[in-house]
Amino acid sequence: MSVLQVDHLTKDYGSGRGVFDVTFNVEKGEVFGFLGPNGAGKTTTIRHIMGFSRPQEGVTYVEGMNSWLEPAKIQRNLGYLPGEIALPEALTGTQFIKMMADLRGLKDMTRTNALIDRFELEPAGGLKRMSLGMKRKLAIVTAFMHDPQVLVLDEPTSGLDPLMQDMFIEFIKEEKARGKTILLSSHIFSEVDATCDRISIIKEGHLMSTFVANELRHSTSKTFKLEFNSKEEFERFRAEAEATKRLKILSVKRHRNQAKVQVEDADVNDFIAVISGYSLKFFSEIKFTLEDYFMKFYDRGGAAYAVN
Amino acid sequence: MFSKPILKQTFKSSYKLWVIFTAILCVISAVVISVFDPKMISGMMKMLEGTPMAEMAGDRLSSMTSLLGMLSQQFYGMLAAILPMIYIIITANNLIASQVDRGSMAYLLSTPTKRSTVVRTQASFLIGSVFAMFLVVTIVGLGTVQLMHHALWGEGYTPDVVAAAKVLDVDKADLTDDLSLILDNEEALATGADAREIETDVYTMYLTLKMADDTGELPQFSEQAGQVGDMQNQIISGITAAADVLGVAPADLMSDMGKIKANSAALAAAAETSGLPEPLLVMMINSQLASDELALDAGIEFSVKDYLMLNLGAFLLMFAISAISFLFSCIFNLSKNSLALGAGIPIAFFVFQIMAQIGDSLSGFKYLSLNTLFDTNAIVNGGSYAVQFVVLAVIGVVLYVVGMNRFQQKDLPL
Ligand SMILES: Nc1ncnc2c1ncn2[C@@H]1O[C@H](COP(=O)(O)OP(=O)(O)OP(=O)(O)O)[C@@H](O)[C@H]1O
Ligand SMILES: [Mg+2]
Repeated sequence: MSVLQVDHLTKDYGSGRGVFDVTFNVEKGEVFGFLGPNGAGKTTTIRHIMGFSRPQEGVTYVEGMNSWLEPAKIQRNLGYLPGEIALPEALTGTQFIKMMADLRGLKDMTRTNALIDRFELEPAGGLKRMSLGMKRKLAIVTAFMHDPQVLVLDEPTSGLDPLMQDMFIEFIKEEKARGKTILLSSHIFSEVDATCDRISIIKEGHLMSTFVANELRHSTSKTFKLEFNSKEEFERFRAEAEATKRLKILSVKRHRNQAKVQVEDADVNDFIAVISGYSLKFFSEIKFTLEDYFMKFYDRGGAAYAVN
Repeated sequence: MFSKPILKQTFKSSYKLWVIFTAILCVISAVVISVFDPKMISGMMKMLEGTPMAEMAGDRLSSMTSLLGMLSQQFYGMLAAILPMIYIIITANNLIASQVDRGSMAYLLSTPTKRSTVVRTQASFLIGSVFAMFLVVTIVGLGTVQLMHHALWGEGYTPDVVAAAKVLDVDKADLTDDLSLILDNEEALATGADAREIETDVYTMYLTLKMADDTGELPQFSEQAGQVGDMQNQIISGITAAADVLGVAPADLMSDMGKIKANSAALAAAAETSGLPEPLLVMMINSQLASDELALDAGIEFSVKDYLMLNLGAFLLMFAISAISFLFSCIFNLSKNSLALGAGIPIAFFVFQIMAQIGDSLSGFKYLSLNTLFDTNAIVNGGSYAVQFVVLAVIGVVLYVVGMNRFQQKDLPL
């Protein structure tokens, strides 16, 4: 059974906003990336997982428990980091940590203190005057203090300085190694790239696609960019590629005589043999990053719909 | 049932406001009780009598001659309704809606705490803090009454008894039980009259009346006066003549007949016109002054039960008001919406009540106001108010239950 299940979740806020028929599962020990432009419906989905909102249709489960029906039960083994940090202002950081520990019935503060040290948190001051990053760290500490098996993190590193962001990524990797199941919503590709096993893209409330990150990273094909010295050579190449079917032309720039070609690793020798017969200005490999891959989903135009 | 950590946090974020409002209420209540002086009030009333202002104030003015009447008008009808209301409006919004609006509720609900526990804890805090507020005000009020007027336990000794007891070297309580001791001792009589700032003759009359009053044998002057209608007409004509001499309005003189006695020309004119002998006139005037004094004594009489009922009523009204504010705090996710209704409705109730009191033409507004159910006049003047109290309690309970259910069912934007 999946640890997190989102099953045909629909919540229509009207005028096309909300989430529509979203389905995905997060397995035990997996870090699941949840990506999408602003207003795509990431936080809305997370609210349903947490049991804060009632689904219009569909259902969400955490460790097999219905989020809406048993919200208090699912929290026992769950850590939540809200996207917006709004701490109760009347308290100091120390009082807040104490309150959260009390609410969780947590007696042993060893882990909490270790987390405080690790994230260089200074909890003594009042929450009203705390810097954004400090508040974020405080929220991180309270989300992880009870060593939950499941973590739901909504843009966890926003507001952290670059060093702390790296620290956090390391921390997530360690937690993953300890078998934690993590749902991570983020706009930062490097952090998703570094931690996630699978990635879902949501846009305008619809889940676009779900990828296994390693399959993308360790793709068995490469992409090359070629520029030909003349129009004739360029056209001849296109014709040959068409005929052999072994070279897949991804895109062309006609006016510059350029072509992007995808080549399976197994065919790389053939590819070199083929292009040696042409007069080339240059050829180069286009290095793959998740960022390139996902950037198109952030495109405001409708084009992204066509990808799936 | 309740969450102690949440209660602790709520307490930390709300106690300052509670302390401020409770302190203000206590101070004002103590001041109103302390400055109460039946002599001054009845003097003021005499001044106002017959003026348009007195007409406007109507019944309310007459009930102000007693300490409780005064408190019910000045304090429970106004300040004790508006100040706790402000506390309630702010606190009710802070307890739920503002935490949802800001998002800090997310932390409470990301622990194994049920929504029902959160909302129950917050509701209990609101109810408890309002109750505690009135409890403190009640205790401070009772303390002040005892301290300033000695009206709670022991006796409320009048100044003449205190002075005379010293002269006679007897216990104040014993003396109060047997006032004839003063009558029997000339020095005590003079000292007592001095302490009361009245003439010895009037004082003697007062003591006689008081003793008769204590044994329930007070003669009914009004009835006697009715039987001797002729005599009344004679007196009135006499007073009119005296007023001429003194150059004041007869009506004014009627309520302050001491002036006739003080001026021999006026007394002579009154005796001549009325055809009554001067000594008889003086006696009648003395007896009037003496019964005025008796009325003053009654002014500081204080019913602890009525006072407790005033406070209970004020609490029940605020309980119902807090239920309204809490309901909207539970319904709305935005502070501004919660406040619009959670503050707007209680304030409207208060304004409607004030409007209803201003004049007969607006009295219909009382049917639009919850505050009408807290009827201070009925409590002080022995009217019935039990049904109203029950209605307030039921409204409060129902609205709290509705609000708590609503909070458990709704979507939270956290
Ligand atoms: N309670 C609500 N009522 C109406 N509309 C809402 C409500 N909550 C969210 N929305 C709308 O639903 C859409 C999705 O919002 P959501 O917060 O889930 O986006 P997101 O993916 O988390 O975006 P971001 O990356 O900016 O955090 C937005 O258009 C938002 O305005
Ligand atoms: Mg969001």
